[in-house]
Amino acid sequence: MKWYEAISKIDRRIIYLLLTVFVILPFFVPFKIRQNIMPQTQRLFDFVESIPPDDKVVMISFDYTPQTMPECHPMAIALLKHCFARNIPVLGLSFDIQAPGLAVEAFTTVVNELNLKASNYDDSLFYGKDYVYLGWKSGFTAAVLDMGESIAGVFPRDYFKHPVDSLPLMQKTKNYKDVAIAIVLSASAYPEYWVLYPQSRYGVKVGAGLTAVMAPKYYPFLQTGQFSGMMSGMKGAAEYEHLIVEKGYTKKLGRAETGMNSQSIVHLLIITIIILGNIGFFFSRRDQKQS
Amino acid sequence: MKRRIPLIICFAIGILMIIQFMIPHPISREFGSTVNKWYIVLAAFALVLAIGNLIRHHGTKIRRKKTNWPYSIVTLTSMVAMSIIGFAGGVDPKSLYQTIYLNVLAPLGSTMFALLAYYMASAAYRSFRARSLEATLLLAAAFIVMIGFMPFGQYISPRLPAFAEWIMKVPNMASQRGIMFGVAFGSIATALKIILGIERSWLGGKK
Repeated sequence: MKWYEAISKIDRRIIYLLLTVFVILPFFVPFKIRQNIMPQTQRLFDFVESIPPDDKVVMISFDYTPQTMPECHPMAIALLKHCFARNIPVLGLSFDIQAPGLAVEAFTTVVNELNLKASNYDDSLFYGKDYVYLGWKSGFTAAVLDMGESIAGVFPRDYFKHPVDSLPLMQKTKNYKDVAIAIVLSASAYPEYWVLYPQSRYGVKVGAGLTAVMAPKYYPFLQTGQFSGMMSGMKGAAEYEHLIVEKGYTKKLGRAETGMNSQSIVHLLIITIIILGNIGFFFSRRDQKQS
Repeated sequence: MKRRIPLIICFAIGILMIIQFMIPHPISREFGSTVNKWYIVLAAFALVLAIGNLIRHHGTKIRRKKTNWPYSIVTLTSMVAMSIIGFAGGVDPKSLYQTIYLNVLAPLGSTMFALLAYYMASAAYRSFRARSLEATLLLAAAFIVMIGFMPFGQYISPRLPAFAEWIMKVPNMASQRGIMFGVAFGSIATALKIILGIERSWLGGKK
């Protein structure tokens, strides 16, 4: 076998092995690369920065599943840290049936971490006062539209079965007029429908956190201003983590940073093997033409 | 009559919902809100149907001992067990339901999705070849976007991230917008055909 035939026919098991090694490597040999912040991530960060503390809520729609957790979960963690650091109340909800478990995990992780650091009672975070998780609801389009009239009408009880009207945060959050921005963390078309229905009807501001594969579809929404910002994929999450660290809201970078290191090295590997495959293909074709 | 009444209801509600969306009057908003609440309840019934369908499908598979029937036992047992655990023990952060969700379902889901990386890498290596001008352009754009969006990209050339962003903001956005317009016009046409009773397959597929 000629050398160029060999590089265009690498056994798939070798590729799998290389991929495994390259994914695992950054977890054992950590390194830090400065993230180049994309404008859409900066826009979302700036929007959250511009919300006055203890005023309107940030609504986070947790619509991702365990399959897309590595990309979307760090976004949720970074967003929650940012909001709580600025005393912005958070209202969580879900329309994807697999999402509630992850939403509860995100809230629990961030609240426990911040409450451990809290120096006094006032600094601590409390369910019902600083954050509420409404849970899952069927009939997505009807539910997001009807929340413009009354959130309690759509979610009479929260995820933990408390009557929504009895929670202090919900007594001042009646509908979209009390929502600064709805940020949709999703791996599907939910953010688009937030623009189509509640934004066109009630003017609610919409932001998004999407898997990298979904992000290209949503660039038109950024250009028109229908999205107030967007995090795309693990890179978007890592960028948001960098932004909150730079601003001093937290000291440690999150899981997206390590994930991004693995992803970057794997991208380099994929680019290399594609180039090798093409070199092999080019020489093989030249041979065929000559013969 | 069996077909005419659903068609009349579809036409009336379709037209009324379009009108109420455009008119922000309290009566119109109240009407819209009531219909939306009905829709939410109806959508919840879809879940009941789905559970029934799942039980019937896997039940039949187990009874007839079709290929991979033991997996059907796992599916049904898991569904029943999780339902009982959820109803009995609640869904609090420290509940058994949440523990099983985070330690069994979440890693399994992530693992399934992570396997895609292996197939994609192998498939990209085998099929991503510069066979024609179009394929070469696609290959070049993919490389620029991949490298430009990587943190390494800025060290290769400071202009690379901006160029990758330009690809996303200009050629990508133009094509995405074109697709969106096509989908939107198609959706409007289909909705009008259903409301006006031209498209009747939702009644049962007969003309």
